[in-house]
Amino acid sequence: MDEVDQPEEQPLELILARNLISIISLAAVLVDTEGALVYYNEAAAEAIGSRFEERGRISRAEWSAELGPFDAEGRPIPYEQLPLTNALRDGRPASGRFFMGVEGGLLEIVASALPLVGPNGNNGAMVVFWPVPADQEG
Amino acid sequence: MRVKLWGVRGSIPVPGPGAAGFGGNTSCVGISTDDGCELILDAGTGIRELGVALAGRCRHVHVLLTHLHFDHIQGLMFFAPLFDPAAEVTVWGPPAAGRALRERLARFISNPLCPVEIRELPARVHFKDTPSSPWRLDGLEIKASLVAHRGPTLGYRVTDETGSLCYLPDHEPGLGQDLATATPGWISGHALASGASLLIHDCQYADAEYGPHRGWGHSRLSDALVFAKRADAARTVLFHHAPEHDDVRLDEIASEAASRWADGGNGGAIEMAREGRVIELHA
Repeated sequence: MDEVDQPEEQPLELILARNLISIISLAAVLVDTEGALVYYNEAAAEAIGSRFEERGRISRAEWSAELGPFDAEGRPIPYEQLPLTNALRDGRPASGRFFMGVEGGLLEIVASALPLVGPNGNNGAMVVFWPVPADQEG
Repeated sequence: MRVKLWGVRGSIPVPGPGAAGFGGNTSCVGISTDDGCELILDAGTGIRELGVALAGRCRHVHVLLTHLHFDHIQGLMFFAPLFDPAAEVTVWGPPAAGRALRERLARFISNPLCPVEIRELPARVHFKDTPSSPWRLDGLEIKASLVAHRGPTLGYRVTDETGSLCYLPDHEPGLGQDLATATPGWISGHALASGASLLIHDCQYADAEYGPHRGWGHSRLSDALVFAKRADAARTVLFHHAPEHDDVRLDEIASEAASRWADGGNGGAIEMAREGRVIELHA
């Protein structure tokens, strides 16, 4: 999907968050209040499989189908149970550990979601994630 | 719409002959309305003279603050309508977590920084958070959005039938990205400025001065020019001059800006903000 489909003006909270995560090496994505990926950095692109500049916005339905997340048995985890959803719904940081689909397999990750709540309300969330170290895999 | 620049300086007032040409008062812009009143953007030291000029002209004045840094509020205590029992003044400002606008301003308008407490002001004074959606004041449509600067900071777009003024006096949209290639929706302030008849934009630094100040919330000349080009405003006024830039230096920056603007094949006009300058917008 192309960026042209995005709203004309992104909230400043998302703009500044994008500026930040575009220069850090930890995998990070930005989601809007609908749960769509509106930006992801180079480190996250490795897991997602394409660069943001090439692909653009990814709707919630698209990334759920491609990336999961999944439990240890490979069953999809409902969107309502994700840390991201808790962050968007409750306006509080949330973390979780689960699997995401990467290159045909499953990668166990830890993810932390930070809600981007500003003076005008919730604007989405920043999610950082990293692989569970081999010696800590469940 | 008639726009007058009452203060064009950033950071701190600059008295003295070296600033007599461009002016030494800090940020303040007046917009005349149909009923003879003024909508005022920011309350830097330029608002003092504006307040004198308003005497007896109107009863209800609106002051729209972009943010509460000192150079944008330090004229407030010398704004004559606040001391007129017959006057009504509404001060609008950015919402922020924790404290209401009145409380935040009272940190300045109170002992020991000020001999008068905010509750002692003779006028009827209201303090309001700017709405997140457009609203109307005195026949003008106002839109405010948060923009890239340190702390909660608003940009404004004021529209009537003659055109639109976009006011972004403290703004660093180029922080962390290349403005020339960024998608418009991801450029701070772009939607506010797009297609404006008049864009008043931060240009605190010459390019060579920017490095040590990156992240302080202000633009260098290059970024101001690229932002103006991306916004496609009909006229751009470069604003919020650094206090160390005297008239000679500002003339040099003005020449460089004009030259680079022309070399870029840009449409529209560009100029340096000058205190006392009046710009009329026509339908």
